[in-house]
Amino acid sequence: MFFLQLKYELWKLFGKKRTYIGFGAFLLVQNAVILMFRFTKATGAIRRALEGGGYPAEAFLTASTIATQVVIPVAFLLLPLYVALVGGDLVAKEAEDGTLRMILARPISRVRLLALKWLAGALFSVLLSLMLGLFGWLFASLWFPQGGLFAIQLETGPSAGFAVFGGAEGAWRYGAAHVLLATKAITIMGLAFLFSCFNMKPAAATILALSVMFVNAILMNIPWFADYKGWFITHHLNLWQWMFLQSPPLARMGESISLLVGFNLTFFAVGAAAFQVRDIKS
Amino acid sequence: MIRLQALRKVFGQRVAVDGFDLHVPRGVVFGLLGHNGAGKSTTIGMLLGQVWPTAGEVRVCGHDVFSHRSQALARVGAIFETPVFYDYLSGWRNLEILGGYTAPSRPERIREVVAWVGLSGREQSPVRTYSHGMRARLALAQALLPAPELLILDEPTNGLDPEGIHEMRETIRRLHAELGLTILLSSHLLSEVQQLCTRIAVLHQARKVFDGSVADATRSRNRVRLRTDDFPTAVAALRRDGLITGHEGGEFVTLTDGIGPSTVVKRMVELGLPVHAIQPEEETLEGFYLSLVKHAAQSEPSQARR
Repeated sequence: MFFLQLKYELWKLFGKKRTYIGFGAFLLVQNAVILMFRFTKATGAIRRALEGGGYPAEAFLTASTIATQVVIPVAFLLLPLYVALVGGDLVAKEAEDGTLRMILARPISRVRLLALKWLAGALFSVLLSLMLGLFGWLFASLWFPQGGLFAIQLETGPSAGFAVFGGAEGAWRYGAAHVLLATKAITIMGLAFLFSCFNMKPAAATILALSVMFVNAILMNIPWFADYKGWFITHHLNLWQWMFLQSPPLARMGESISLLVGFNLTFFAVGAAAFQVRDIKS
Repeated sequence: MIRLQALRKVFGQRVAVDGFDLHVPRGVVFGLLGHNGAGKSTTIGMLLGQVWPTAGEVRVCGHDVFSHRSQALARVGAIFETPVFYDYLSGWRNLEILGGYTAPSRPERIREVVAWVGLSGREQSPVRTYSHGMRARLALAQALLPAPELLILDEPTNGLDPEGIHEMRETIRRLHAELGLTILLSSHLLSEVQQLCTRIAVLHQARKVFDGSVADATRSRNRVRLRTDDFPTAVAALRRDGLITGHEGGEFVTLTDGIGPSTVVKRMVELGLPVHAIQPEEETLEGFYLSLVKHAAQSEPSQARR
């Protein structure tokens, strides 16, 4: 019964055109960036960095390298926007449209309904993250050869250096990074979902979630607060980037995953508590 | 089927429902009347567990709605004033989804309710292509899907044209006659309530001001039509004996409180005055409602002083 109801939630989610805005935007942005790399001199800096480090540029100017360069800005800006949009819609849009009242005339409990909706949103977030990786790699493969992976180490800034991986290792790190990117997508979706459980418009829930994320990112990037990075959720949301470090800090990654699980449980619990006590009226 | 006990709901400073006791027995068509903001929709919200009561108890189908929601609402269908659906999905998909929150709906059952409400042939079209009347029928179909025993209709004719209103009225009659459903109908259309309901409750400014049968409500307790050979003589005699307080039109008399038509007949026979007919006058529900509301409004200032 639970999975049948989950299927219905997915029908509702994927039946809406706005659910696909994210996928469409990824296609456009990724192709634009890949074509910029292909038809401008933008690869020159990568080539110089590789050759300066003693690596043959041709072996690493590949589809994986370009796809990785593409995913960074998309994951920073577009992915949060689209998962927050869907998360903010999940409850608030149904309340706004009046369908929530139709549902809550049924014998389903509010917590179960929220669990179904959260799960549908989480599946969407996972799918969007994986599609981001797949689309990037597919489109980059149209213009660049297969081979090793060159990745700037974002953790300590571009000037800190880069890492290079052979073809097979590069492929699995690229895949694993996108699986971990799903944790970021789910968490932001979950935050928007939390606000969506309150009596507010869907757009307000989306904007609030993004505002929290941006405020976190701003605070985290103030150099004087560097010692307190671990306090900011955005720091833990970036754990997917650590897959591109030469030696991924597994303990730190485990810690971040645990914290994100805690954040998600908290978001759900607070949202469910707020929704439980709400009066649902037309 | 429905039992409300000392139900109260307060939104901030505003009392929406106050001390509402109600019993809706199985098998009746029960009307819930009241002006806008009287507390009808809030009461329906509490019946369905959508609005939390500030105090009191709500029992549906023998179960407390808030502590045993799944049992209480398992055999309940509801329609709200503006039928809303997932417009981008077909009518069929909407029925599957909404029905699925009670129990999985078999395709045969969906076909059955679609045929019952007269939507066959359009169930696979997106709901955005439906007229208002078709949406109302789809709303009814989703309410019927779990084979309900109780149907709650909150202003079901809102926004319908006269044909749609007539169709909905006939459908409610069929639901009661063919399926034997208990129906709670909240409506502004008093003539509709009079035609459909056997019992009513009237809410005025959050409080119940009447609860009884439509027959009681439309029967004037004091005013009777009296047909006799010599009406003026009869009136004079009855007035002298304190049995009536007034008369009008050569045919109507107003009985003194506590005096029934049988007492009048008995006295007239004693006086040798022939009685050809004596009949309590029927009042319209509209007339009854308006006088009730007027009376309630007049008594409010004195209540406020207390």
